[in-house]
Amino acid sequence: MWKTNLKVLLIAAIVLGFYTTIAQIIPQLQSAVPEVLDLTAGVTPEVLIPAGEALFDGAGACTACHGLGTRAPNLRTDHAGEGTIGQRCGDRKPGMDCKAYLYESLSQPAEYLVDGFTAIMPDARRQLSAEQIWAISAYLQDRGGEVTVTAADIQQGGGGATEPAAAVAATFSPTTDPMQLLTQNACLGCHGINGILIPIGPSFDGIGARLTADQIRRDILDPNAEVSDGFEQFAGMMPVDFGQKLSAQQLEAMVQFLAGRR
Amino acid sequence: MIDALSLIQGAADGAREYGDFPGIGARGAVWIAAQIHLMFAAFVLGVPMFAVITEFIGIVGKDSKYDKLSKEFTRLLVFAYSATALWGGLLLFLLSTLYPRFWGHMAEIFELSMWIYAGLFFIESFTLYLYYYGWDRWKEGRAKWGHWGLGLLLNVWGTTVMFIANGWLTYMMSPPEGTTVQGLPEGVGLWNAIANATWMPINIHRMIANAVFGGSIVAAYAAYRFLAAKTDEERAHYDWMGYVGTFIAISMFIILPFAGYYLGREIYEYNQQMGITMMGGFMSWLWILQAILIGVLFLSANYYLWTGMGRIPGAERFMPYTKWMLAVLIVCWIVWGTPNTLIATRDEFAAMGGSRHPFLGVLGLMSAKNTAVNFMILTTFLSFLLYRRANKIPTVPWAKTGTLIQGAMFVLSGGVVLFLGIIGYKFDLFGVSFGVETITRVAVLSPLQVVAVLACIIGVTVIDLFIVRGAGSRGEIRWGEMPERSQYAIFVLAITFTWLMGLMGFARSGIRQHWHVWEVMRDTSDYAVTPALGYAANMITVCVVIFLSLVTFIFWLGGLAEGTAPASNAAPLARQTKPAALVE
Repeated sequence: MWKTNLKVLLIAAIVLGFYTTIAQIIPQLQSAVPEVLDLTAGVTPEVLIPAGEALFDGAGACTACHGLGTRAPNLRTDHAGEGTIGQRCGDRKPGMDCKAYLYESLSQPAEYLVDGFTAIMPDARRQLSAEQIWAISAYLQDRGGEVTVTAADIQQGGGGATEPAAAVAATFSPTTDPMQLLTQNACLGCHGINGILIPIGPSFDGIGARLTADQIRRDILDPNAEVSDGFEQFAGMMPVDFGQKLSAQQLEAMVQFLAGRR
Repeated sequence: MIDALSLIQGAADGAREYGDFPGIGARGAVWIAAQIHLMFAAFVLGVPMFAVITEFIGIVGKDSKYDKLSKEFTRLLVFAYSATALWGGLLLFLLSTLYPRFWGHMAEIFELSMWIYAGLFFIESFTLYLYYYGWDRWKEGRAKWGHWGLGLLLNVWGTTVMFIANGWLTYMMSPPEGTTVQGLPEGVGLWNAIANATWMPINIHRMIANAVFGGSIVAAYAAYRFLAAKTDEERAHYDWMGYVGTFIAISMFIILPFAGYYLGREIYEYNQQMGITMMGGFMSWLWILQAILIGVLFLSANYYLWTGMGRIPGAERFMPYTKWMLAVLIVCWIVWGTPNTLIATRDEFAAMGGSRHPFLGVLGLMSAKNTAVNFMILTTFLSFLLYRRANKIPTVPWAKTGTLIQGAMFVLSGGVVLFLGIIGYKFDLFGVSFGVETITRVAVLSPLQVVAVLACIIGVTVIDLFIVRGAGSRGEIRWGEMPERSQYAIFVLAITFTWLMGLMGFARSGIRQHWHVWEVMRDTSDYAVTPALGYAANMITVCVVIFLSLVTFIFWLGGLAEGTAPASNAAPLARQTKPAALVE
């Protein structure tokens, strides 16, 4: 009888092991929690834009639809020959300036629908605070346009989720820890690392064997100078402002870290 | 009891929002307690459904073997019931001490329903005890019907209890419009909170899934007893019992995807973002894993049926077809498991010209996957049909015509499924444009595929019932003459169903992301991030191991009780000989 018991146990171990292993092999994506923004008086675009970008790529879940070109208009890249969202937002609705249009698009998305799309977008106020919505608006303005969102807009509010979010303030520390930098700058949203493969941008694993440190530096500062083979369809998605966002030490720390990944 | 309630109330009234649990954290502790409680609950809700049905067959057909089978099902319930209550109690304590703010919110809204739930649980328990312990006392005439009525009541209480609990969990996914952390809006009552947008889809999905789960666990129990059997009679009985459990599990499983589709559709209707998060957001890879599991289920189930045909005289004439059915299943499995975008190296991406494969990429889309799963359902149904017809010699004069019509139904249904799958894509052929918009594919084509398959299943079954009426036999089914390997297929089914249940629980709960109650109460704990699939899989495996270990222990206890039972109880089981198929 012990042989039968052993066989049953073995079958159970194989089946459970198989499913558990498959789950470890496939891409490991987790759902981020929106950061609480403490955007007090005197907030600048330099603070708003990265905060908005982190929300756009992460907890805002904007990329689930915007960027595919099928469910919703592209925002970071050209859409229907009208340019990026920062270029076209001021002309969308007559009499409405860019930031008002963007805020309305996020808070009352059914008010104006771009031709060819249906009203599937939810009201962002149900998930995000007014501060977070303004931060995303500033980030979208920055995609080809001028950022006009100010501290006054934020203080004025506009309505948003009132529940306190995670107790993490959106402060961008002057760290030179490369992994922190990659996380803070949302690089890992498109580039995989440590075996995680995300088919939007080239993996960071083995990047040091494929590119020199100079090439990596150039690709960070000017990502559209040369698009990697196989990623043409995602050309233009990578932000072009890392030269402004990163200090020289941060950039160098990131370059050396990536160059060392052979 | 008063102390326990005071503790719960005290925790809920306290100012702190979260507690922590050593080692695995608050989320891990609640996850394990909730999952195992649900597994036991599914078992004790699923098994009474077919215990009552088999008892009914036994009464009407005056066949005692069905009655004994029904009693054996119920014996497993008695022990499993205590485990359900214990894990439910543990879950309650963990929620109230680790998530007091959330628990306070839920208690405020669902207070009355929680009292009713507890009351019904008592009534359900006593009904079960009456049902089981009164089996031999009320076994004749009208008393037997009264006993069967107890079984029916057991199902009514159990289903009501489940519906109430479903109201709580679906409220967390789809609370009524205007709900805040302070409570329900003006004019919205308890009933509205319970009967929310996803309540009925979950009710239906869980009822079917419980029957599937209960059937598979009972079958696994029978498979083990088959392997451990010392006499031919015992082996025959447990072979039959394993078949009945598997038959119930698979026949209900075939309709489960349709209930799942209804649930998914309602989630999209309630909130597009939640739907997109589920199917196209961070959870999109979960469905590849689900496809792998369901593929294993279909293959194991069909393998079990094909192996079982070896003990049916006349089945050999169908065996040559099994290799083609296997081919269809494997091709469909591969299609279903094809990711929308592929994991590949840089060079492979370059060679493909993107993240989607130039040729196989089309298989990663919804049209192809829906088509594949519908073909797998049709193929499995065909296996059942061949199994059922194996030893029959139809005597009705229109048997040949009827069989031809059945064949035509399969061809027509398959053709419709394939056609609707193809026109889900946009393409030009001979200068003619084909294809539809996404919304048409989701709202029209996919339901039509479901209708085509269901129509085939219903139509073919009805015809078959009449064809085999008064049919001759090519020989009795040789119960017990089953290779041992077939029983391991039953274990694979049970383990996979259990794991799949954990995975789907993660999907349902995970789409709320960092919300305790979607867009009403935010999770601000250290565990607010919804984990990736790797972590979730580890948790699911831990839960499955604990559950299966406890079930094994409970069944062993059942065996001990059986061993010490009076001879008059044990003997009829041992005398059981070569029962006929359930589906004859």
